[in-house]
Amino acid sequence: MTTAAVQPRRPAKPRPSLVVPIGIVAFLAITWASLSEQFGIAFDLGKILEDITAGGEILISDRDSAAQYGLLVPNWAFLPQTVEPMIETFQMAVLAATIGCAVALPVAFVVSRVTTPNSPTFVLGRSVLSVVRAIPDILYALMFVASVSIGPLAGIAALVLFNIGVVAKLLSETVDGVDQGPIEAARAGGSNRPQTVRWAVLPQVLPNYVAYALYTFELNIRAATVIGIVGAGGIGYLLRGQYQFFNWSNVSVIIIVLFVCVFFIEMISIWLRRRLV
Amino acid sequence: MTAATMAGNRPQRPSRTKRNLALLGVGLIVAAAVATVDVDPAEILELPAGVALLFREMFLDPGPDWSYLPTAMEGMLESIQIAWVGTVIGAILSLPLGFFGAKNVSSPLVSNVVRQFLNVIRAFPEIILAITIMIPIAGLTPVAGALALGIHSIGTLGKLTAEVVEGIDPGPVEAARAAGGRPLQIQRWGILPQVLPEIVAFWLYRFEINIRASAILGAVGAGGIGFSLQQTIVFHRYELAGTAIIVVVVATIAVDTVSGWVRRRIIEGADARARPGDVEALGSPLREDTAIG
Repeated sequence: MTTAAVQPRRPAKPRPSLVVPIGIVAFLAITWASLSEQFGIAFDLGKILEDITAGGEILISDRDSAAQYGLLVPNWAFLPQTVEPMIETFQMAVLAATIGCAVALPVAFVVSRVTTPNSPTFVLGRSVLSVVRAIPDILYALMFVASVSIGPLAGIAALVLFNIGVVAKLLSETVDGVDQGPIEAARAGGSNRPQTVRWAVLPQVLPNYVAYALYTFELNIRAATVIGIVGAGGIGYLLRGQYQFFNWSNVSVIIIVLFVCVFFIEMISIWLRRRLV
Repeated sequence: MTAATMAGNRPQRPSRTKRNLALLGVGLIVAAAVATVDVDPAEILELPAGVALLFREMFLDPGPDWSYLPTAMEGMLESIQIAWVGTVIGAILSLPLGFFGAKNVSSPLVSNVVRQFLNVIRAFPEIILAITIMIPIAGLTPVAGALALGIHSIGTLGKLTAEVVEGIDPGPVEAARAAGGRPLQIQRWGILPQVLPEIVAFWLYRFEINIRASAILGAVGAGGIGFSLQQTIVFHRYELAGTAIIVVVVATIAVDTVSGWVRRRIIEGADARARPGDVEALGSPLREDTAIG
């Protein structure tokens, strides 16, 4: 036997697929169009660099306000004024997460095939949920501020809708993936549908549900800040009042406070979630 | 054997003290928030009627004004472009950062520093970045919005990339090293092919998230549909706002659908090639949850 015969045959090279080149061409075309001045947002790296050198001055020494300071020089005297709005942001986050998660629990069962074999209900639930999710939280806030008034209520209502969207989606995906065994057992034991959901599905997804609830609370601190900017109360509203008048040294304090709070909450929340799931 | 000893064999009920304490803690926090929040109960009762009225004006009577459609679609296109540019910036810069942040590729010191840097970036919402840094620097332009999204995306995508790189199969890396590959070659041939499908899928997912984010950036003046939404609602032109909302919802769902299809195609392709189990890795909610934050 010759060596050539012993050597296994070299496997054939896979046929070059067209998918990757097409994908790359599509990517480049969309990126070029988006960057161009004619079709897109007129992205010009040279101008950005120029702006950064010019804008940097504004950030360090603000000539527009009496304070004479910029973003890099926080005005610590402003710190006490951030406490109350920050607490309001916390309240908004807690209440919205509580209401949102409570509503999302039944919704998640409606929009999962495992617990809702009835097609019309399932399809309707899915469609409503995707519309709720497609509307950005700030739009909800704008609408609630317009229909109620400026303040935390509009913010809580907006966050509730936002949270229902997030938790119902995440939880319904968990429900989709549950172990079928307990469901069969419950059905064999004569359970009706609500009983099956209660005793065979819920215990399987409960740890995830709690984890999502924590995660939602964490998201809410950030989201509440953002929607506050359009008038929905809390630290965001305070921020708007300061940046509109170019009080960068006060803005700086608000950002530091926010950063510290978000960071600690995230740490606590991640620690708790690790223990749960 | 008596009944008593039989009963003794039954496993003990697990302690519920911890669970009850946790529930009590959460209950107290919620109760405190309810008691202290500055909300007028009378206003809560007005809320449904107010929303119903708004809804009626937006969608039923007078309903959406279709002459506003071209303007709204133009704004939405700009929002999508802002999201795209932001995602591309994030993707390009996060890829090397993700490798530097992965413990199995770079040194412990470098990976720690990079990880902390990514955490700091992620802590700032896009809109805060836009207001405080990008708009003062680049002005009230879509470029400011794209830069804000890009910076935030570096944080989230970099973290995910690092996690994916840390989860690789060490086999191909060893093979590349055994064949005499230099560090860069090992990364190119031993690691990148393994992680790329999942990372590209995350880029697309981030694009979906960035569309939502860019739709709101306009509300602070950084271009796109958000500006139309904010102006029409603030000036009570609800028939125009209704049109803009319909455009946002339809466009968001359309992009989500296409992007979701491409993501599945990428991941399933990867799955057929080498690694079983990754489909769940992307589809699993906790993965997704890291992608959102």
